[in-house]
Amino acid sequence: MPGEARPGFWTETTQLVRAVGRAMGVTFKNLLRRPITVRYPTVKRVYPERFRGILALTYDPQTGEENCIGCRLCEYICPPQVIKVEMLKAEKRNWAKTFTLELYSCEFCELCVQVCPTDAIVMMRSFDLATADRRELLLDKDRLHALGLQFEPSWATGNRLRDMQAPPKPAKPTAQPTPDRRGPEASQGASTANPQSANP
Amino acid sequence: MATLPRTTVEIGYGGSERLTMNMGPQHPSAHGVFRAILTLEGETVVGVDAVIGYLHRCHEKLAETLTYVQYPTIASKTDYVSAMTAELAYVAAVELVGKIEVPKRAQYLRVLCAELQRIASHCLWLGTWCMDMGGALGGGATIFLYTIRERELILDLFETLTGARLLYGFHQVGGTRYDLPAGWTQKCRETLAVIAQRLGEYEAMLEDNAFFLVRTQGVGVVSRELAEDVGVAGPLLRGSGVAYDLRTAAPYSSYEDFGVRVPVETAGDCYARYRVRMAEFRESMRIVHAALDGLPEGPISSRPGVKSVGQVRVAKGEGYSRIEGARGEVGCYLVADGGPKPYRLKWRGASFSNLAVLPHIIPGHKVADVVAIMGSVDPVFGEVDR
Amino acid sequence: MTLAYHALVGFIVLNVVIGMVTYVTLLERKFAARMQSRIGPYYVGPRGLLQPIADALKLMLKEDIVPTSADRWIYNLAPIVFLIPCILIFATLPFAPGLGVADLNIGVLFFLAVSSLEIVGLFMGGWGSNNKYALLSAMRAVNQIISYDLPFVFAAFVPVLLAGSLQMSTIVEAQRGLWFVAYPLIGQLAFVMFLIATLAAENRVPFDILEAESELVAGFRVEYSGMKFALIQLGEYAHMIGTSFLGALLFLGGWLGPGSDTPLVGALWFLLKAMLIFLVVTWVRWSFVRIRVDHILAVSWKLLLPATIVLLLATGFWVALRGPHAG
Repeated sequence: MPGEARPGFWTETTQLVRAVGRAMGVTFKNLLRRPITVRYPTVKRVYPERFRGILALTYDPQTGEENCIGCRLCEYICPPQVIKVEMLKAEKRNWAKTFTLELYSCEFCELCVQVCPTDAIVMMRSFDLATADRRELLLDKDRLHALGLQFEPSWATGNRLRDMQAPPKPAKPTAQPTPDRRGPEASQGASTANPQSANP
Repeated sequence: MATLPRTTVEIGYGGSERLTMNMGPQHPSAHGVFRAILTLEGETVVGVDAVIGYLHRCHEKLAETLTYVQYPTIASKTDYVSAMTAELAYVAAVELVGKIEVPKRAQYLRVLCAELQRIASHCLWLGTWCMDMGGALGGGATIFLYTIRERELILDLFETLTGARLLYGFHQVGGTRYDLPAGWTQKCRETLAVIAQRLGEYEAMLEDNAFFLVRTQGVGVVSRELAEDVGVAGPLLRGSGVAYDLRTAAPYSSYEDFGVRVPVETAGDCYARYRVRMAEFRESMRIVHAALDGLPEGPISSRPGVKSVGQVRVAKGEGYSRIEGARGEVGCYLVADGGPKPYRLKWRGASFSNLAVLPHIIPGHKVADVVAIMGSVDPVFGEVDR
Repeated sequence: MTLAYHALVGFIVLNVVIGMVTYVTLLERKFAARMQSRIGPYYVGPRGLLQPIADALKLMLKEDIVPTSADRWIYNLAPIVFLIPCILIFATLPFAPGLGVADLNIGVLFFLAVSSLEIVGLFMGGWGSNNKYALLSAMRAVNQIISYDLPFVFAAFVPVLLAGSLQMSTIVEAQRGLWFVAYPLIGQLAFVMFLIATLAAENRVPFDILEAESELVAGFRVEYSGMKFALIQLGEYAHMIGTSFLGALLFLGGWLGPGSDTPLVGALWFLLKAMLIFLVVTWVRWSFVRIRVDHILAVSWKLLLPATIVLLLATGFWVALRGPHAG
């Protein structure tokens, strides 16, 4: 502390003054910088392609049918066990009779998206679902489908994630991109010509 | 060193010279939920009784009920500030016991993310430590907001990579879940350039500052013998003169390719630990650049994409994996019994062992030093209480 | 008649001061925010201008909680005892020639004496709360404010010596030629020491060990809620602005400036200079970590007090050599 040893007093004082000046200079420089605040909700940040937001169920873009076949793989893999599915058996394919997802307990880990064989469940690029009543976050099948049409979906679907993780296959002669089974809005702008590298 | 037994905790002012004060679990600088029952004589602390357990969430029991596919997303919640290293500890343990190969690209990606996470975690450490010392409404908050601004840049990188900002679920048994998107390496280099420049600004604000030096030099000295006796790790150990870093002592995940230089200081006080962490910032940035330069092509997982919950089965065996987390040695001891779930999982939390030095070094200091010391030990209570 | 007139003037000044105090909180928040790469209050009113009103309303509507084990009389009286000296100091400040409540011929002395009475209210708050944190902080505060009042007074007396009078308007008039801060070495040193002593007497970082949020969670104010808390905040900021005004008056020439013949323009200059000092203090506040209480006391007794005494002696010597100052 300044004031202890007479010979060092002036050096200490000048050092203190210089340090004070430097610190105040840094704050002054930041005073002149633009603030980095994003004025949500008037201004929204651009969320990245793989953003893990609200969950939703999808329709097949060609036929308009629900993608979910009620296989319950997502129910089994969910760590906090928030998904409950009942299967409805039919001749050509199975359906989901009921599909409930407790969004208030979901930990947004994307494991359900990863295991889905038909790309039925996906995550959206938005999280704007705040509500004052927790019961509104107990999503049933209709609500999940509506959410799928309401927001923009993220890039990640089950097949794309599994393709990204699997060892690279030898290049096929016909470069057919992985079919996008999520819905009409999703297939615009998301290219999956080569799933191994250059992922969006 | 004398910590008072619980039975003598009393509310005493009105005759007795010693005041028992509770720095309770709800406290702006408890770094989580930490209860320290301080015994004060005037302004000097003469005894510390540490109470933990307020964040216990039964991680180890939970691991017995979740499979190897499900648990990595939960593992990130132990050391939530430094989630990548926490997940890495778990999957490394499973791969060790199950003798599962990890492809080279996945190893490099793991190193990349672990080092970026170390930078982010140290940003948070610097911010909260200065905030504790400077007050939430004072100069400390300024440095806090600056370092959080830098941490946000790294979290943006992680968000582009995985989709999440804090708890990633990036690792899985056999490799990683996500690969780098297009343009990520360029963005990463730019971010690191910005952070390196801003780091220079923080050092300018703090290094020669007499206020800062007076608060940190000579405070909370952990001698080398004490550090080795109690079993601390991480910057706490390296600030006391022991050059021990798991990345060089027991390399995992291709760390031996990078030539990690371990920063060591001998003073053992808060200032030494500060210098160690600042040097770790720069070293981590160098490793990230090296990893980006040398990133090999190839698969990111040795297991095909996860399709079912019981996909990974590990044969009977046990093993212990050790990871150099941002706070010290994060360890995971796994006992597998052949099924898809572990038989027993034991977490060694770095902060849990680091907190054990507190009753040795705090007595003798003033109340204001308690927060400075706790900040420089940098506990995260997800690791302590699990 | 004159009593009613003075009461009216006092009432107007009181309201203006309280209004200014509330809006100074907004100024500080915006300024601090810009230094931290963020915007301050933004949504309440246009660009956040109604934020202090919202805060005041909120505090008025809050529940008034009194701890059961608190010493009722002391606890309830403490905010009032704290606030009154902090507002009373504005009575002696002349905002322009002729514009002021009471331009006492011992103005500076009255100001300094009354402003140090706030310590009584502070300690009452800490004691009456029956809370160890509050008590600890109040004890620290007493230590600190008493230690720093001495250098504060001595630094403030340098302009008094240079002007030759304790009356505030005389001091300002004596700066017509040259502001006291511009006097070679004596002025600058005295100003710097005045600022440091102000920081400590106001419990501002780096000397805010008293409130130290991260250790003592709001210090002696910790048990106060609602309107009592508002009174304490009001008192703190009023004291802060009061000493800024004093600093502007003693060192920066008060209301002197181009066009200061008209009282309102002079008052505006005075306000600008006081806000300049306030912003410098805020800038320091948001740039540094705090130092420990034993270091704070060491700085005061070992460094600042001898320095201000030496400075005062030097000033007296210089004034004696210069001869009696006219006016």
